[in-house]
Amino acid sequence: MAQSRDDFIIAVRYALLKKGAKQKFSLFFLIFLSVITITLDGLSVPFVTSTRAVLNDAVYQVNVIVSKPGKFINYLEQIKKNHFKVVEKNKTLEEEVETLKSERYDNLFLKTENENLKQTLSITGITSIEGDAVILARVVMDQESPYLRSLLINKGKNHNIVKGMTVFSNGYLIGRVIEANFLSARVLLLTDLNSKIPVIIQDTDVNGILVGSGKKTNLFLEYLPENFLLEPNKIIFTSGRDGVLTAGMPVAETYLSKKNKVKIKSLANPQQALIVHVTNGQMNNR
Amino acid sequence: MRILINIKNLFISNLIVIFFYILSFNIFESIKEFPNILVFSFNLQMIIVYFYTLKFPDNLGTGHIFLAGIINDVVIGIPLGTSPLSFLVLTFFTTYLRNVTLRSLMLSEWIAFVPALFFSNLVYYIVINNFSHLSFYYVELLRNTFFTFLFFPIFYYFFNSYEKGILKKNA
Repeated sequence: MAQSRDDFIIAVRYALLKKGAKQKFSLFFLIFLSVITITLDGLSVPFVTSTRAVLNDAVYQVNVIVSKPGKFINYLEQIKKNHFKVVEKNKTLEEEVETLKSERYDNLFLKTENENLKQTLSITGITSIEGDAVILARVVMDQESPYLRSLLINKGKNHNIVKGMTVFSNGYLIGRVIEANFLSARVLLLTDLNSKIPVIIQDTDVNGILVGSGKKTNLFLEYLPENFLLEPNKIIFTSGRDGVLTAGMPVAETYLSKKNKVKIKSLANPQQALIVHVTNGQMNNR
Repeated sequence: MRILINIKNLFISNLIVIFFYILSFNIFESIKEFPNILVFSFNLQMIIVYFYTLKFPDNLGTGHIFLAGIINDVVIGIPLGTSPLSFLVLTFFTTYLRNVTLRSLMLSEWIAFVPALFFSNLVYYIVINNFSHLSFYYVELLRNTFFTFLFFPIFYYFFNSYEKGILKKNA
């Protein structure tokens, strides 16, 4: 018994301390270094934060180059898909144009009526938040790891991007900045499990928290009132209760799935985002 | 001319290290136009670490494993040091296994990969649970680990024949 225990200890010690013929470091040293790295990373010391930012920037720049072949494969496949879609889309668009033409006249009437009513009630036009400059950024990489659904953009602290800023694509909210380096930033997408934003459901006064699940077509609403039944084809807007996001921005919509269950999908398609707008809370040009 | 040959030989002999670094940049994650590939996603880095530590420990240094792990952490966005620690635990388990094994069999090594993966992933989850506020996609991780285990024999034969081919060429 004692003999086998000794053998075990010797084998473990050998594995930890013995360096191979071409090994420069022992396993024990590297494991110790990893633990130190994790501990230092957990502390928000300025020196460690700036070192990490520089390391992130360097790795992201290399990553952009390394991921080029993969992106090229995506590009070729996208071209193939687009080619077959164009004809079908053209037909649909022609029909939509006809419908929109007729709706436009109705809208013009409503707009005039709205302005007249505003003047009557002495309400001025909506102004943008002071200092809410829109920063344009390019998506350099999108990551789908088991831990994060995130994007990397090519603007960072040097371009006045700070942690917590909101990110829009095609006018729709897609996420928030969770990590700002000097030359790049990481955006946590709405579809991520860790994303939580306060929302309100169309035609109701029900507030909830929109939570991601990793999939664009399957978001969740938390903290809904008891016995509340979600209806399909309802738009979900930001409620602005967090004090960061502007109220009334459409972020998702409910729909009926194939199994007749009401599900929630994001209005934006973060995976297709190439150029994004980073703001302090609202999208001015919507 | 001699320099070119030396560079070529250096490249060939370190090909697995280069490949290991490339993998740490998660380039296959960026191929999204083939969604079915992601269903069978597996951790090739774990397979490489396990196989090379077990069979050819001199071809993949622990320093490289550590550095590639750090890059992996930066790219994925998890606390720095998580992947290196996970890979090094796998290396430790494998080195121990190599020391106590008298006669190696592919089947026994494949089965021993289960506890190796378990300990490695356990460290990974403990670190992420305690040193970050991230949540997991448990099903994806389970699926990933399962396919990592399942595809091991394929890569075992592939890497084995590759390394034996190089040894034969150098002999």
